[in-house]
Amino acid sequence: MRQVIRGAVLLLLLLIVVPAPATAQQPVVRVGTEGTYPPFSFHDPQTAELTGYDIEVVKAIAAKAGWRLEFVETQWDAIFPALDASRIDLVANQVSRNEERAAKYGLSTPYTHSRGVIVRRTGDTRINSIADLRGRTTAQSSTSNWAKVARDAGATVEAVEGFAQAAALLAQGRVDAIVNDNIAVLDYLATTGSKDVEIAGDAGQAGSVQVLALRKTDASLLSQANQAIDALRADGTLRTISQKYFKADVSVEDGGTADLSQGRGRRSTWDVLRSTAWPMFVGLVKVTIPLTALSFTIGLILALLVALARISPYRVLSGLARAFISIIRGTPLLLQLFIVFYGLPQIGLKFPPFTAAVVAFSLNVAGYAAEVVRSAILSVPRGQFEAAATIGFGYAQSLRRIVLPQAARTAVPPLSNTLLSLLKDTSLGSVVLLTELFRESQLAAAESNEFLALYSFAGLYYWLICVALSAGQKRLETRLNRYVIA
Amino acid sequence: MTDTRIEVTGLHKSFGTLDVLRGIDFTVPRGTSTVLLGPSGSGKTTVLRSLNVLDTPDRGVIRIDEVSVDFATLPPGKAGRAASQRLRAQSGMVFQSHNLFPHRTVLQNLIEGPVVAQKRPVDEVVAEARVLLDQVGLADRADSYPHQLSGGQQQRVGIARALALKPRVVLFDEPTSALDPELVGEVLAVIKDLAAQGWTTVIVTHEIRFAEHVADQVLFLDGGVIVERGSAAQVIGDPQEERTRRFLRRVLDHG
Repeated sequence: MRQVIRGAVLLLLLLIVVPAPATAQQPVVRVGTEGTYPPFSFHDPQTAELTGYDIEVVKAIAAKAGWRLEFVETQWDAIFPALDASRIDLVANQVSRNEERAAKYGLSTPYTHSRGVIVRRTGDTRINSIADLRGRTTAQSSTSNWAKVARDAGATVEAVEGFAQAAALLAQGRVDAIVNDNIAVLDYLATTGSKDVEIAGDAGQAGSVQVLALRKTDASLLSQANQAIDALRADGTLRTISQKYFKADVSVEDGGTADLSQGRGRRSTWDVLRSTAWPMFVGLVKVTIPLTALSFTIGLILALLVALARISPYRVLSGLARAFISIIRGTPLLLQLFIVFYGLPQIGLKFPPFTAAVVAFSLNVAGYAAEVVRSAILSVPRGQFEAAATIGFGYAQSLRRIVLPQAARTAVPPLSNTLLSLLKDTSLGSVVLLTELFRESQLAAAESNEFLALYSFAGLYYWLICVALSAGQKRLETRLNRYVIA
Repeated sequence: MTDTRIEVTGLHKSFGTLDVLRGIDFTVPRGTSTVLLGPSGSGKTTVLRSLNVLDTPDRGVIRIDEVSVDFATLPPGKAGRAASQRLRAQSGMVFQSHNLFPHRTVLQNLIEGPVVAQKRPVDEVVAEARVLLDQVGLADRADSYPHQLSGGQQQRVGIARALALKPRVVLFDEPTSALDPELVGEVLAVIKDLAAQGWTTVIVTHEIRFAEHVADQVLFLDGGVIVERGSAAQVIGDPQEERTRRFLRRVLDHG
């Protein structure tokens, strides 16, 4: 028993102290971006590389300022929490400047000038101007500037992750309108060739500017960024990048009308699937499976300890175990994940994304499996404990050699359920910066709008692994039953 | 003194408000068989489980050979557990419902304690275990799992498992009560053999005829005290106490 505890503690410590990437002479700047917001931040379907206007701009800035960049992809609503929690140092994702943000963050000089537009279902003449949004529902990233514009106009905002999802909701008639950047909308229309939605008109006020957002405390980083932006504007680099994406210079006011009619080239569903199958497989093998395996193993060890504490005669111990189980089972897994990832850094406990996910998932497994293990132990007849005692075994020996092997028989079916749930729940890792299987399908869907095909394909991966695990469960059950069934 | 294997003095035990043992004293000479008789609830099983410290007496002293525990002064925690375990190691226990380990083969059931708890060499223990299995007539079932055996065979394995520990004393807790009537004989025969070989045994049983045959000493318990004691001929053949007579009448009528 002692070795088991020692092993578990060692493993946890090891995970916690996994070093952050070594710092070279150049400062590493971690850039937060969606990766699902074409043409600003997206994955090139050919190379799967992160690219886009914002990405190229921030790369140019880094070259000027002498930074080394590390891109962290996450959905929009997690970007500012990530900045607050020091998981990233800078946001490059078409952050519109407004008063609230200026008060809280260090904002750079603008590198995009744009205007907001209102998008409606094609032919929906009820919506023509910003005033028509009153009492309607729009789809936005809930913390975006466009969401604020929509709310100010009296609309109810449905929170979505990215523009592609919003456009899908609008086309399906689940919402009435979208407020977004005209460039993003033009890109969507050109890329998808969609006839389902159209631009109804400008979203009120003249124009808006987009900036990089940093922590207020990083003043020197901000001034480096500003100097670089000014230099890039002066030497024409910004104009070149902008022309490449928009055939207009959006880095200055009145730099012409963006023209995205060429789109980024459309691909068949088959092509999209073929080019995404491999990244999804990599996400499965490099993140989803290790995350599941590690969390389940640690979770089971913790579950055993919690179960033993729960049935121990010491009141304090069993009380603590009971409280732990109650809290884990009484709160959403997503919330637990957010507490570990975004909450704990506020009291100085910061784990890398993978570790944070392992911590959250293994605690969750422990909470559920503890009750399974407990009832399995209690299902072993009392006489087995007594017989173990009479042959000279102490508590730990009785448990390990006599009781647990028999309890395993009872515990395997429900624990298998826990494992299957865990495998699928790891898809929640996509919200804490983990590029796992589901996140890969999201990235591809944002770029291509092939929701049905891509999500079904991701489902196929999950299902196949579950089938394999179920087969393993069956074999294990047969093995454990060999001494019961003649 | 050296010829006294077990010495029990002033044993008291209560479960909540129920006094199960109210002052039990007896001795068991080396190489003899003692049978505990009594109606259910008389405390006979608690006496047996106390000898093995599966139940911990509230007070009283139990000595088996050189290991003696005074339960009134038993320290709490680790030291107490260690003392209890030393006393427990003096005896082997045969349970009413055998309590064999279902996930271990017959041979593994026998060697588990000697190898893992007593840390004796495997080869030696296996060799001894095979002799014991032969002795209880199960030499050919070493690799069977308990569920593949009949009730009588299971109980004989239970006896062999207790003997494999090389205890000073073997305790039997109603070893035939859970068996079909036609299987009782084979188990009693094995116990009789042990007594003949000079093992010291303490047996709780309802088999009066068997007790008469095997017991060197019979203790009749009722209400947590020993009501009558003596040889089998005395206690079973010519009981002096009314309670003993009533009990024997009832049991023999049914038996």
